[in-house]
Amino acid sequence: MGIREAIAVALGTLRAHKLRSFLTLLGVIISVCTLVAVVAMVQGVNTYVGSKIARLGSNIFSVSQFSLNEMTNPVRFMRAKETNPIIRYQDYQFLRANARLPRAIGAQTQRTGTVKHNGRSLDEVNISGVTPNVLGMSAFQVANGRFLAPTDEQRRAYVAFVGPDIVTHLFGGANPLGRHILVSGQQYEIIGVATAQGDVFGQSQDNFVMIPLRTYQKIYGNQDSITLDVQARDARLLPATMDEMEMLMRVRRHLSWNEKNNFGIIGSDALMTLWHTLTGAIASVMVGVSFVFLVVGGIVIMNIMLAAVTERTQEVGTRKAVGARRSDILWQFLVESAVLSTVGGLIGVLLAYLFTLAAGALTPIPFSLPLGAVVLAVVISTLVGLFFGVYPASKAARLTPIAALHSET
Amino acid sequence: MATPTIHQPSTTTATPYAGDREVVIRTENLWKIYQMGSEQVAALRGVNLQIYRNEYVAIMGPSGSGKSTLMNLIGCLDSPTRGEYWLSGHLVSALDDDELARIRNQEIGFVFQTFNLLPRTSALHNVELPLIYSGAPPAERTERAMAALQQVDLGSRVHHKPNELSGGQRQRVAIARALVNRPSIILADEPTGNLDSTTSNEIMALLEVLWERGNTIVLVTHEHDIAEHAHRVIHIRDGQVAGDTRTRRGDAVANRPPAPSA
Ligand SMILES: Nc1ncnc2c1ncn2[C@@H]1O[C@H](COP(=O)(O)OP(=O)(O)OP(=O)(O)O)[C@@H](O)[C@H]1O
Ligand SMILES: [Mg+2]
Repeated sequence: MGIREAIAVALGTLRAHKLRSFLTLLGVIISVCTLVAVVAMVQGVNTYVGSKIARLGSNIFSVSQFSLNEMTNPVRFMRAKETNPIIRYQDYQFLRANARLPRAIGAQTQRTGTVKHNGRSLDEVNISGVTPNVLGMSAFQVANGRFLAPTDEQRRAYVAFVGPDIVTHLFGGANPLGRHILVSGQQYEIIGVATAQGDVFGQSQDNFVMIPLRTYQKIYGNQDSITLDVQARDARLLPATMDEMEMLMRVRRHLSWNEKNNFGIIGSDALMTLWHTLTGAIASVMVGVSFVFLVVGGIVIMNIMLAAVTERTQEVGTRKAVGARRSDILWQFLVESAVLSTVGGLIGVLLAYLFTLAAGALTPIPFSLPLGAVVLAVVISTLVGLFFGVYPASKAARLTPIAALHSET
Repeated sequence: MATPTIHQPSTTTATPYAGDREVVIRTENLWKIYQMGSEQVAALRGVNLQIYRNEYVAIMGPSGSGKSTLMNLIGCLDSPTRGEYWLSGHLVSALDDDELARIRNQEIGFVFQTFNLLPRTSALHNVELPLIYSGAPPAERTERAMAALQQVDLGSRVHHKPNELSGGQRQRVAIARALVNRPSIILADEPTGNLDSTTSNEIMALLEVLWERGNTIVLVTHEHDIAEHAHRVIHIRDGQVAGDTRTRRGDAVANRPPAPSA
């Protein structure tokens, strides 16, 4: 019996039992749907985050107390806490004095705090101490007023550049320039407001107060490590600039050639890598879950195929009586099980497609259905059908023609 | 039914045709014992038979005497508990599963008492079934199945499903299926059991044609006038051969030269 006949027989049976087939396939449908949807989601989010990170400026990297490697591993992080000194204002000055390649070096440090004005208060605000040149190295722009200036830095002035959230929440949208806010018991005059950046994953990007770095250290002390933002002159010079920073830091820290860096150099590609690791972890959990569904789906298919074999004992007997070999019967039921499961896979892909359409319409994330994932999911569902069809099919194939013919229906 | 004791085989009845014709079916001391829980039912108790090429044999006997059991063994649908069966000189118990499938497909056409058509499947497809398993290409398959259906006068009902056909029409589909692969042996277990006399006569006429073409025909029946179409009647009682006689038609045929082989 050729594959065409086998598939025709299988589709005929499917059509004869539509509802039962659909219920049978639920497991496969759900698992394929999750599988494809998760891949689509991860890919969409990656694209989205990639574009966000790219907006920070591709020629920018930072020098920080810990490397990404250390930050993402608890054990390494504990160890690095012992070995990596904090980066201080003096380090910043040293790099500025000695570096030749960067276009600019900015510095910043931050904590979260509460901001008050006139009895109203806003919690969980990002309070940053920054050098004036971080404007242009970050995503925000000045919407109103001006940014922090070098003189503010020198005078350690109590001035603040704020995100639009501060304006809406504390000033009811009114012009806040020249007015004062209270942060950790200190009054700051608002000198500028940033353009709105919106949310990234429900996290507002506009919820910040920036004050001069020197002012920050005057208030909060100098025990918070600062992070240096370094801008290379262009993309070609980026690697060399990163090397120079690394070399200067090692010199300043008196590291000998066989000692590891006790600081981190984090480029946007490293951030992207980190992000991929994170989404990869989420994806593998989801893929694991969908495989559990798949196995459950496969077992359900096996069950229904066993029932089908019993139900169609007479059919098998008739086929054998007119010359079907064991292999013909085996093949017939295997194909049937595989077709069943593949149809489930296709329905799952369709549902995933609808899901990505809906998600794409409701979020700014560009979802798309990756062809590779679709093909893989369909192939996997076919294989599941084949695998879980082996036992029922071999049971059918072993029936003797007479046992099959005698069964009452 | 009595529990079997090991008997000497019953005496082989003298076969009406001795001659030099080829023996296609030969059984020796054939036993079939069904296990029903703790009880054993001996459906066949030492059957010895010889059937020659192009013979037309009727098997008669009371209900439960073992006729269907014997037909199933002859048709290679079942295997005996004891004893031996040679088909065209081959010891059937020595054949493997695929060879048996090939025999059922090409050497033997079986017509069941209960038709055994695939439900939800057109008459045409039912008749095509043996051709599918013999690997005929689709176009040839359809063509031959159509021809077989026309032969049984069902050319106008090819797309009907079994439940859209009358009993006689279903039996004719079953016959078309049995002969579509041009087997040399046709086995029919009460092919007219469920049919009225007119339809029965049509079926018998069909079997007559097949015999004329050189087929060996074995049919089970309860009715004497059906058995009269055959040339030889084997009586089965309690799982044993109780008689083997030539009919009037058999006498007539015996006196003319043997038909050309299929
Ligand atoms: N699968 C089976 N399991 C147990 N006993 C069986 C089985 N098939 C047949 N028998 C028994 O074997 C005996 C012979 O049965 P068989 O079907 O061969 O009779 P038959 O001569 O064809 O009868 P009928 O004329 O009614 O068709 C009966 O006693 C029957 O009960
Ligand atoms: Mg019977």
